[in-house]
Amino acid sequence: MMQDFRSQIDGKRPDWLGIGVVGLVLAGVGVLIVNIFVNMQAAGMTPGYGFLAQTAGFDLSESLIPYTAGDSYGRVIVAGLLNTILLAVVSLMLATFVGVMMGLVSVTPSPAGRMVATLYVELFRNLPKILVLLVLYVLAVRGLPPSREALSLGPVYLSNRSIYIPTIVPDAGQVWLLAPLAASALAAVWWVRRARRIKAATGRESPVAIIVIALLLCVPLGFALLADVPLEISAPSFERFDYEGGARLSVQFLVVMLTLGLYHGAQIAEVVRGGILAVPSGQVEGALALGLSRGHVTRFVVLPQVLRIVIPPMINQFVNLIKNTSIAIAVGYSDLMSVSGTIINQTFRPLEMMLVTMGLYLGLSLIASTLMNRLNDTLRSRGARRGS
Amino acid sequence: MTIFKTLISLSTSAIAIAVGIAPATAGPVMDDIKAKGSLVCLVSPTAPGFSVPDSKGVFQGFNADFCRMAAAAILGDASKADIRGVGFSDSMKTIVAGEAHMGSRSITRTGTRDADEGLAFVATTFFDGQGFMVPSALGVSHALELDGASVCAEDGSTTLLNIADWFGAKGMSYRVENIADKTARLEAFFSGKCDVYASDVTALSADRQLASAPGDYIILPEIISNEPLTLVARPDQAFEAALFWSFQVMLNADSHGVTSANIDAIVADLGQQSPTVQRMFGADAATTDMAAKLGLPNDWAYQVIKQVGSYGEVFDRHLGTDTPFGLDRAKTPNAHAADGGLMYPFPIR
Repeated sequence: MMQDFRSQIDGKRPDWLGIGVVGLVLAGVGVLIVNIFVNMQAAGMTPGYGFLAQTAGFDLSESLIPYTAGDSYGRVIVAGLLNTILLAVVSLMLATFVGVMMGLVSVTPSPAGRMVATLYVELFRNLPKILVLLVLYVLAVRGLPPSREALSLGPVYLSNRSIYIPTIVPDAGQVWLLAPLAASALAAVWWVRRARRIKAATGRESPVAIIVIALLLCVPLGFALLADVPLEISAPSFERFDYEGGARLSVQFLVVMLTLGLYHGAQIAEVVRGGILAVPSGQVEGALALGLSRGHVTRFVVLPQVLRIVIPPMINQFVNLIKNTSIAIAVGYSDLMSVSGTIINQTFRPLEMMLVTMGLYLGLSLIASTLMNRLNDTLRSRGARRGS
Repeated sequence: MTIFKTLISLSTSAIAIAVGIAPATAGPVMDDIKAKGSLVCLVSPTAPGFSVPDSKGVFQGFNADFCRMAAAAILGDASKADIRGVGFSDSMKTIVAGEAHMGSRSITRTGTRDADEGLAFVATTFFDGQGFMVPSALGVSHALELDGASVCAEDGSTTLLNIADWFGAKGMSYRVENIADKTARLEAFFSGKCDVYASDVTALSADRQLASAPGDYIILPEIISNEPLTLVARPDQAFEAALFWSFQVMLNADSHGVTSANIDAIVADLGQQSPTVQRMFGADAATTDMAAKLGLPNDWAYQVIKQVGSYGEVFDRHLGTDTPFGLDRAKTPNAHAADGGLMYPFPIR
């Protein structure tokens, strides 16, 4: 079979079918583009992106960069894009965590655990995500108290608007306080490398996790206690309508994150379950017979193989999740889709704005799948080195 | 066909001018309405309070009644209004293309729209505008007290720009909750996630009815954008005048307490009425003179009030305090000029 394809590609005779299909597609796209420009010109519209510098004139529910209604359309697109990226990254981590946990539970011997996993997967896999989102949103908005009756968890407050968190006011004169954190991070990296070297040279295990946590937490904390530097804390306090000061995480952000985490978590759980079941039971039995502990069997025999099976379908999940962040528009999280829709309504430049939006989503998805493919290649080559 | 018609009307006007009498043909649109015996009027297909089909498929509502006003004035019979529900952009095209005589469908009169030669804006029947609704428990009675509040508004709408402009101009801060889904938006407002709900005042009044206790919410007096909802006609001087002055008859009737219920009694006792009422409904009144010049039935003013009613009557019938809308006309810009509103009756003489 392989040989047949080769001979065709090598060009003993031209691939007329391929040329025909590609030619038709290109011609179709060409006709479409020419038609759009001709029709736009007939309607007195000149396509262009000059509007990106004009004043946007509308506000966002939240923004990672300073933004006011007086800023340009270009800036509001960046703010929307950053909101989309933040939502995607956090939801990805949640979905992966939930999915891997549920996937592991679904293959445990415990019938109760398996039942919980099955219920979860079947529930979230079979409901439209927009419905899940609206149900969670209404539950959150109705269930959480309004801002003037916010729940107090020490200095943190929770209402149906936001979670309000106290923050340290950044002060340029206090940046040196970060030095011990950087130092302990460097020390942690050095320790991990050293542990690996010892393992490679002698096969002896040295404690890694405990040392790293101790370095990252205790050193900066101890330093902070000893140094006794007066840090200015900005704590949320209730004003006329809402808490001001500190930082806030909006309820709509949390609800969309939860929806995406649970929805994609259910699908990732199935991917993980499939990956685990694909490792032949003979391998586990063999490893046990060699005298490896249960933990080591999972860590050195099962998981490396599961990861390699699971990554290609996971790329699919991650890319889907990135695109699905656009449901956030329904509940008032100012993501790329929401910003793009408002701009189209104000400027009447649907074609230009849709192209920009498509390009940005495409870019995000391609970056995500490229990174995952790299990870896949690394795992494969590592597997190959180990000779598995 | 059109050339033939034009030729006929040209020749008749030529004869009329030559003979020196008032033209029997007022204008092409007016002639078309009379020739067909019905007036095609476009309304919005579903706008509660303004135009919704009843169980027989006939449009009822505030806007639909201005279609009936035109038919009563021109054809003497309000039921000869052929009221059709058409979407916004299609209705503009339909009128420009000559497939309909007029539109009464909450079209905001703006400069660029008025500059279009295929459309004539005639009379503003409703002054709408964007406003704010708050829970009465918030203890706010003016929008200027909203510094720092969270505002719910529809994602992607012009409302977002209007609130940004307004809060910016007043130097006040606010947080926006730009929610696309209507259920989520109303839940957010009714659960106190936002302090304020911003939209057109008419939409606020309609949405307030969806609360479990509508009485717990108030619409603040400030209106932050102008939306003069205006009747549009196919350009024709006589037709436009007929529409404009029919509307003025409704406003003048409103000033003098004349309604569809009492007009017969008033006409029977005309000698005792104010001069303005006499000029509107008398046998040899100003309206009779206008009828001859515009090509209307002599009793057109009487028919408008008898069959449709005064402006206040139409407002209260569809949007007033006894309707689910619960709009108190005196508190809107649609109040009579004498009560501080914008409804200013022009003199009929």
